[in-house]
Amino acid sequence: MKKDLEKVRNIGISAHIDSGKTTLTERVLYYTQKIHAIHEVRGKDGVGATMDSMELEKERGITIQSAATYCTWKDYDINIIDTPGHVDFTIEVERALRVLDGAVLILCSVGGVQSQSITVNRQMSRYKVPRVVFINKCDRTGANPKRVTAQVREKLGLNAVPMQLPIGLESELKGVVDLVTMKAVYFEGDNGEKIREEAIPAEMQAEADAARETLLDAVSMFSDELMEAVLEGSPSEEMIREAVRKGTLSMEFVPVLIGSAYKNKGVQSLLDAVNAYLPAPSEIKNTAFDLDKGEEEVILESNPNKPLVCLAFKLEDGRYGQLTYIRTYQGTMKKGDTIVNTRTGKKAKVGRLVRMHSNEMEDIESAGPGDIVALFGIDCASGDTFTSPDVNMSMSSMHVPAPVISLSISPVDNKAQGNMSKALNRFTKEDPTFRTFVDHETSETIISGMGELHLEVYIERMKREYGAEVSVGAPQVAYRETITQRADFNYTHKKQTGGSGQFARVAGFIEPLEEGNYEFVDSIVGGVIPREFIPSCDKGFAASLEKGALAGFPVTGIRCTINDGAAHSVDSSDIAFQLAARGGFKDGYLRANPVLLEPIMKVAVEGPSEFQGSVMGSINQRRGMIIGTFEEGEYTVVEAEVPLAEMFGYSTVLRSLTQGKAEFTMEFAAYRQVPRNVAEGVIAAARKAAQEKK
Amino acid sequence: MLKNDLIAKNPMGAFSRDAEGNEVARMGLVIARPGLGKTAILVQIALDSILRGKQVVHVSVGQNIEKTKAWYDDILGDISAQAKHDEMEELKLSVRRNRMIMTFNASTFSRPKLEERLNDMIYQDIFRPCCMVIDGLDLARVERRMLEDMRDLQREANMSIWCSGVIEREAQAAVIASQTLPAPCDALGDLFDTVIMLHPESGDESKIFLNVLKDATNRMAPGKSLRLDPTTMVVWGATA
Repeated sequence: MKKDLEKVRNIGISAHIDSGKTTLTERVLYYTQKIHAIHEVRGKDGVGATMDSMELEKERGITIQSAATYCTWKDYDINIIDTPGHVDFTIEVERALRVLDGAVLILCSVGGVQSQSITVNRQMSRYKVPRVVFINKCDRTGANPKRVTAQVREKLGLNAVPMQLPIGLESELKGVVDLVTMKAVYFEGDNGEKIREEAIPAEMQAEADAARETLLDAVSMFSDELMEAVLEGSPSEEMIREAVRKGTLSMEFVPVLIGSAYKNKGVQSLLDAVNAYLPAPSEIKNTAFDLDKGEEEVILESNPNKPLVCLAFKLEDGRYGQLTYIRTYQGTMKKGDTIVNTRTGKKAKVGRLVRMHSNEMEDIESAGPGDIVALFGIDCASGDTFTSPDVNMSMSSMHVPAPVISLSISPVDNKAQGNMSKALNRFTKEDPTFRTFVDHETSETIISGMGELHLEVYIERMKREYGAEVSVGAPQVAYRETITQRADFNYTHKKQTGGSGQFARVAGFIEPLEEGNYEFVDSIVGGVIPREFIPSCDKGFAASLEKGALAGFPVTGIRCTINDGAAHSVDSSDIAFQLAARGGFKDGYLRANPVLLEPIMKVAVEGPSEFQGSVMGSINQRRGMIIGTFEEGEYTVVEAEVPLAEMFGYSTVLRSLTQGKAEFTMEFAAYRQVPRNVAEGVIAAARKAAQEKK
Repeated sequence: MLKNDLIAKNPMGAFSRDAEGNEVARMGLVIARPGLGKTAILVQIALDSILRGKQVVHVSVGQNIEKTKAWYDDILGDISAQAKHDEMEELKLSVRRNRMIMTFNASTFSRPKLEERLNDMIYQDIFRPCCMVIDGLDLARVERRMLEDMRDLQREANMSIWCSGVIEREAQAAVIASQTLPAPCDALGDLFDTVIMLHPESGDESKIFLNVLKDATNRMAPGKSLRLDPTTMVVWGATA
């Protein structure tokens, strides 16, 4: 089977929480005849949306894992990744975008550009993903696609121009006016599957003419041919589409489509737009680094006959064993081929190759450039590059944010013990933002992640999928320590217990580092510390960073410089210098005025204006700093920075304060110093906890 | 150290305190042709209070929070480029603490709306502004009623309110010559205690002057002119 690469689309669907990503995907699958009945996310039939395959997803009505699926629309092959909307699962969005060529950014016609839309848009920009905007939920009361388009232009800074006008709004939404064909399009039948095109209603003609003119003005920038045709007054549909496509691919133009997935309006037009405006794999410049030529950047070609280069972007450990999601960029991967993991250099054989459709799969023989498929039985980590044995290239990895919250878990019984470690093993492999480690001092298992919901979901999954019941400690904020001033140290490590002793002297200073976590500077002159022991000092300092002397939290933002020392011809060793460096660090650290840092979250609370006062009061009580307030239609949004430590359980508080009418989102903003009075409490508690465990 | 230095360099300090250093509340107006630095001056007015530990509300009509925040960050970065890292952090922290940004759509901005949002904070003692700057009002369209409302609010709350207004490029020379307000501000002039104008030296756009057109509180004599740094709007020469 030879595929026409021009007719492949790899797209993602992402948006703010509850904008209807999964609902839209469900419609897409229905219209492309992948599924034969529509199930709603929170449908009464209790089946749940096809893409939300995890039991927990169906129950909570949220998407937790991004699901890949594949469908065909008007002989274009479309690979779709439906991503979670909640900020706690941001890594899922991040890695989906890494491997996609184009994206649909969904916005709610009432909520407009919400905080998470901004984050998602920023992520899309980071990976240079061309996008179309779909303004969903136009059937809801208060729908205003015009206002939302204006917000996209202003808040997201995108050159967004409507391609359609709604015919009626809110409950009166009937269809859309297509500004390219200048026809009214209605979606009829039980599930909107019948499309009827008609002349534009007379009362909308003037509005449509004006909107078309705006559209032509905006896109004729991208095509001289179109510009001329517009001046002559006869632009063809083809020309307009061509220009829109050009603008979209160059990321200087964003087409805006409208509709209501829930009411089955406008979804087919969106699919047409995906085919027409979003890039084929061959149109996106992907690069890799050639490790044989000093990491020289090479452009990958979507040529099935070139050596294979592909990226493993997601791992899943399901009932069929480990599944590795792979996006091929260049070359072809066939069953039985040998591929090499560039990071480890290990060879592997391609066994079963499948195309994923949520939790069902379809066996295939080979995958060409631009395909998103899954492999069985390959051992690797998320972000690894695989190539054919004859090349040695690596693709850049994804951006992985650091976890901000952690909690301790302990199994309730012996059976749970084994299952828990199995589960943790799998989760950490699948999700790079989910980490786990055993605190050696307390022998507790600590898990950390991006937010309360993130960890909650994993604990729930441990119980359901592995039968590992655990008792959970209170959530802990991932505090850090840093120093605020320079301090000198001079430390001699000496041990004489018969036999060869240990001797090392290290002197220098530690000082705050403005950017980065740790830096080691070697200013030794005259060889007072022999060259071979310099790395030992570095190692010693690095080891000291794991636990600060203030309260036992990891130390960041520090530069260690050594400028003097002494060695003994017999008694000096690697370990002696490591210990001396540790000693020196400890010696200087408490004099360098160490402070505690805590994660500060950017919080946006959105709700009716009458609750603004109580919302601000609640933020103020939480050591929050209100940055500002702005209007969003009938709503007022309060934007604030609040320490994560104070945000536990906020959703419950907010619900009761505002009769459930306000909602909030938060995302990590920065690490900042903990105010002294609070820090004292945290330090005392940490020391006490450490004491008790001993 | 840094703080005191910045307070001293601030051209607007003279308006916020009397000779004894007591706060003086006033209704002020900054006019200039587009692109000269009205917002920067409003930010300086806000900083003057913030650095002295007072709280300020920055009202932005038609602009979003991010952009407004960026103004402060840029200006702070420029005026204290030489400052030490930790001093700078402390400065930024005090700005974040003592500044509240409120944005409004141009069509919905009114005293009741503003007051509704202000009162929520004041009653709960979250925020007690001594000064409010309002950026982005269109003086040609604004109703006199609205400004009268603001004037009342200013007196009742005993805080300073500073607005900005755009004048036509052509009107600039006439204003400098006559030292009177140009249309459309002339009809509104009586509502303000103080009116200042920013203008470049004729022929040299890099030299910006602050010109006092009116000052009912006699802190600065009308006609007085002060040269400013064009990027940061601090007193010229103080940033060496």
